[in-house]
Amino acid sequence: MKIALDVMGGDYAPVELLAGAMKWLQESEGQIILVGDQEIINEELQNHSYNPNRLEIVHASQVIGMDESPAAALRKKKDASIVVASRLVKDGMADAVVSCGSTGAQMAAAIFILGRMEGIERPPIVAAIPGRGGKPTLLIDVGANVDCRPIQLLQFALLGQAYARGVMNLDNPRVGLLNNGEEEGKGNNLSIQTYELLSGQSGLNFIGNVEGRDLFSSRCDVIVCDGFTGNILLKTLEGMVFFLAAGVKEELGAIPATFTRLDYTQIGGAPLLGVNGISVVCHGSSKREAVCNGLNIAADSINNNIVDKQLQELSRLTP
Amino acid sequence: MQEFFEQARRILAEQMEIEVERITMDTEFEEIDADSIDIVEMIMALEDIYEVEFPEEDTEDYPTMGSLVTALYEYLQKVKND
Repeated sequence: MKIALDVMGGDYAPVELLAGAMKWLQESEGQIILVGDQEIINEELQNHSYNPNRLEIVHASQVIGMDESPAAALRKKKDASIVVASRLVKDGMADAVVSCGSTGAQMAAAIFILGRMEGIERPPIVAAIPGRGGKPTLLIDVGANVDCRPIQLLQFALLGQAYARGVMNLDNPRVGLLNNGEEEGKGNNLSIQTYELLSGQSGLNFIGNVEGRDLFSSRCDVIVCDGFTGNILLKTLEGMVFFLAAGVKEELGAIPATFTRLDYTQIGGAPLLGVNGISVVCHGSSKREAVCNGLNIAADSINNNIVDKQLQELSRLTP
Repeated sequence: MQEFFEQARRILAEQMEIEVERITMDTEFEEIDADSIDIVEMIMALEDIYEVEFPEEDTEDYPTMGSLVTALYEYLQKVKND
């Protein structure tokens, strides 16, 4: 197993990215390809001891910044670290790419380099939110697409269902639409139009509108929303977990495991779905622990064969 | 130019799943919810059809269909004449 890590993206690049890679190498058995400025990487590697047989460096002279227009930057910066890393996956030199850089650029690289699955316009990010009894609820999209059309939300629902079936081994996953009320007709234009599309989609176990609290209610297995809403929900959750964990620690002296399971540094990253390759998106503020866990998500995605499983499940829907 | 524009708007209309007639030279990309990925996809499709590589400029510099298509067409003519 070989994972390409974009070491130039993120708030703490490259120091924490490299430290995360080293931690992963100590704890796992795979190989890592560090993608970025060779000179900077070599200098930083002097601070670490590692097995050179498990580490490669591929030079990339450019970086796509958080403030750049993703698609235009992708055309302009053909030697950007996320472009080079994604191309390694496309060319079969790596099994997955992991990045803490611009999500938009990573999504654009996934679209234009890895390629989309048939019938998928935009790849969403899926996050598995830990639930009761160890059963996670999938939240899709948590930030790749801020503006969505109803048809794209339908595609997210189909991808979420395919992921839940293929990877989580659920026979008939229940899919809900995130809304501000359960009744049909609730919500903004996007939710009302999406509700109609999801209701009319054969082969989709759509249970109707669900609310934010249903993320933990086990009422459904997949919750669909646009990336703007999903990202706000996810980050609110992260903030709330930090707040509650700090309060509980103050009062009881320890943090229960439930809080740790919801800590984003423990979750690490989340894969983009609907593309012909594994691309794991991590937090821009990831430090070594989160980077290491992001690499674990990539390894799990490779072991679970998530691309083939999505393709198999999607093809079941096509007559 | 007219043929080039027709190609471009057919591609974009198909991508956005809207009527071709909704796209004119004056149409702003924002008006039809086309983002930078949609625009780059259209440019790449035109590159395949006309077997040319357009310059890698910022798509934000061209807010309307007319301004972008004109710039691409002018580049295409320049390449043909060189």
